[in-house]
Amino acid sequence: MTETIVAAPLLVALVTAIATLLTRASDRLTRATSLLGAGAYLAAVAVLFRAVDPAGAGRTLVYQVSDWRAPFGITLVADPLSAFVLGFGALVSLASLAFAALYVDAYGQRLSFHPLYHFMMVGVTGSFLTGDVFNLFVWFEVMLMSSYILVLFYSGPEHTRAALNYVVLNLLGSAVMLLAIGGLYATTGTLNMADLARRLADPAAYDVALLPVLGLSAVLFSVFALKAGLVPFQFWVPAAYRAAPAPVTAMLAGVVKKVGVYAIVRLYFTVFAAASLPAIRLPGLADFSPDPGVSFLAFFGPVLFVMATASVIFGGFGAVGRVDLDDVLAYSSIAQVGFVVLPLAVAATVTSPAIRTVGVAAALVYAFNHGLAKGLLFLVSGTIEDALGTTDMAAVSGLAARSPLLAGAFLTGALALVGVPPLSGFFGKFLVFDAAARAYAGGASGAGIAIGVALLGAILTIAYYTRAWNAVFWGDATELVDAVLPTRGPDLGASPAGGAVADGAGRDEAHTGVEGTDDDRDAATASGDAEAEADRTGEAETEADRTGEEERDAAPARDDSSPDDQESAGTTGDEGRVQLPHSGGHPGPASRRVALAGEVTIVVSMAIAVVAFGVGFEPVVAAAQGAAEAALDTGGYVDAVAPAAAEEVSGS
Amino acid sequence: MTGVATAPAGLAAHSRAVLAAAQEGGEAAGTTAGEPNVVLAAVLGLLFAVGTYLVLRRDVVRVVWGVSIVSQSANVYLVTMGGITPAGDAPIGGHGGAAGATDPLVQALVLTAIVIGFGTTALALVLTYRVYEEHGTIDTREIGEAGEVDG
Repeated sequence: MTETIVAAPLLVALVTAIATLLTRASDRLTRATSLLGAGAYLAAVAVLFRAVDPAGAGRTLVYQVSDWRAPFGITLVADPLSAFVLGFGALVSLASLAFAALYVDAYGQRLSFHPLYHFMMVGVTGSFLTGDVFNLFVWFEVMLMSSYILVLFYSGPEHTRAALNYVVLNLLGSAVMLLAIGGLYATTGTLNMADLARRLADPAAYDVALLPVLGLSAVLFSVFALKAGLVPFQFWVPAAYRAAPAPVTAMLAGVVKKVGVYAIVRLYFTVFAAASLPAIRLPGLADFSPDPGVSFLAFFGPVLFVMATASVIFGGFGAVGRVDLDDVLAYSSIAQVGFVVLPLAVAATVTSPAIRTVGVAAALVYAFNHGLAKGLLFLVSGTIEDALGTTDMAAVSGLAARSPLLAGAFLTGALALVGVPPLSGFFGKFLVFDAAARAYAGGASGAGIAIGVALLGAILTIAYYTRAWNAVFWGDATELVDAVLPTRGPDLGASPAGGAVADGAGRDEAHTGVEGTDDDRDAATASGDAEAEADRTGEAETEADRTGEEERDAAPARDDSSPDDQESAGTTGDEGRVQLPHSGGHPGPASRRVALAGEVTIVVSMAIAVVAFGVGFEPVVAAAQGAAEAALDTGGYVDAVAPAAAEEVSGS
Repeated sequence: MTGVATAPAGLAAHSRAVLAAAQEGGEAAGTTAGEPNVVLAAVLGLLFAVGTYLVLRRDVVRVVWGVSIVSQSANVYLVTMGGITPAGDAPIGGHGGAAGATDPLVQALVLTAIVIGFGTTALALVLTYRVYEEHGTIDTREIGEAGEVDG
């Protein structure tokens, strides 16, 4: 019964989610359960990964839920593609969760952060494993429902606004997805992906009209593009990423976005690729009749290409102009998803199977690299926010001298995304260019433009990360940094105790532009009206010291303010620019130092992972290669999931 | 959430087995049925139009209404995709003996979608209230202006 292992990651995530719900009485127990569950999840994924062995044998394991055979029941399929994406998803997830256990305040931890996080993982896992189109919709919903609340987590003005956009957009996306799936079922008579591929490969035998299927698959495509945040569906990305807590953003950018990419690879390269393009007649336009045997991919190739190009350019130029580190990273992830999709576009356009495999492998390697590196960068940004209370590049500067480890981690992540050789990103970029260059050599139309776009995207990547690095880590320390981190230390935890810092901030008349520096943010966020008033009174530049005074004055009276006050005070930054809602739960300076040191440790170990995967990259490339081959091997997928024996039962 | 997801999933699996025999006949009957399909198509078009209109309003509550109308119309659409037969027999029969029955699978799908839609609509309404609390308005344009920050 090796097939049962397919359901293991799903069950582990589900059991963990429920266990964290049951242990809500004890904060510590919840965190322990949650971390244990994330570790067990990684272990389950590792076992599954070994069983599937994408780099070697490349088996496809199929688990028929409740033993209903494939076209009828729901099928969970772990093929090399699923195993690959699950693998890096589990890595990023464990790092983000460990970070979250330190980063999210005690109130937030009690407020069902952990169950939501694990339910999101359940949805992600299910999406990666399912072999059924409607089931994919259900897992998307499981994932989205948790992510709605995680985006809304701090529920301040900014967060409610971002979440409103995010929720409404995704609800519409879900309705459109349902329409597409219903239409597909009506035209093909099946929901099982393998069965769908079989019917599309032989439309005459199953009485399938291909033209409506083409239209419906295009409708479905828009939903996946929305999930992946591709231009022109990118507009929800920056606001949602800013609103969500840093570890959640790391997951959203690193893994949840990749669910959309995975769905595109799985459905369009495995399933719809089986269908050959029908003749298209549009009123007022010349009839389009393709050569026989040209698959649906020829239709989606140009679409993918335009979206990828637009994403790379929009995200790149957007990121260059941002003033907040989180915004830079959010726009960067629009551009980077463009980079993931660009080789997919090349793969869809070319006809040579070899180049197609290279293209899909390039996309997967790039997705892997982006998941790790962008997750790392968002966690660095979260650490900065936790320590300094802001990620505004004007207020934060000179961090390299104060926290070399954190700076090193950021540099590693940024260089990985730029694509410097010893890091994992080099191979991603290299393969993207390789795929485009091979297509160009093969005479594919548009491949030259693809190389140009990739080059432009790479240059823009260098530009905005250099800019962010210069602004945040180099240069002279701003007053805020001086106040919070007066000395150089191996980690941010080396800053002195809270009271001294608060006094320092006040005495130096720090022109910080930020309320509540460092440790006194515990008290600051818990403060009631006094501080909120202080924040509202005009420019922080002139009011900073006054704010500091008031904070200290008000500090003794703050403990008895109600939770509601805490929330509103915490999120009422001056002009909404400064948000410190997540602090306020750490019991004291000492434990905050421990938390910050822990956050730096996690970030640094992720940076080490990025380096390690770069140095020992052969297995990852081999696994991606295996995954790409599996993704393109429609026949193998169909045979493994719904063997012909089941065919006779359906009577068609 | 996941309980919700798995229970109808099992149901769907079951009905798909029943469907195996019934499907062919059901679809054929659905396409020849004529009249109810025309009415349903018109109703669907109307529902989508109303939903889209509401989504484009400035009032957040109307937007939420619009979204839920759109998702409910998607459900209605799903049901019609199963093929509505004028005298829709229950899909019960021996092996291969249920020709002319309505496709039961779409109804299982719609049950799942309704449950999900219920949860998300509830969330959207709570979110609307929360937006009102934070911004003091439920006008989308004013929310956008009030919350405008750098960048």
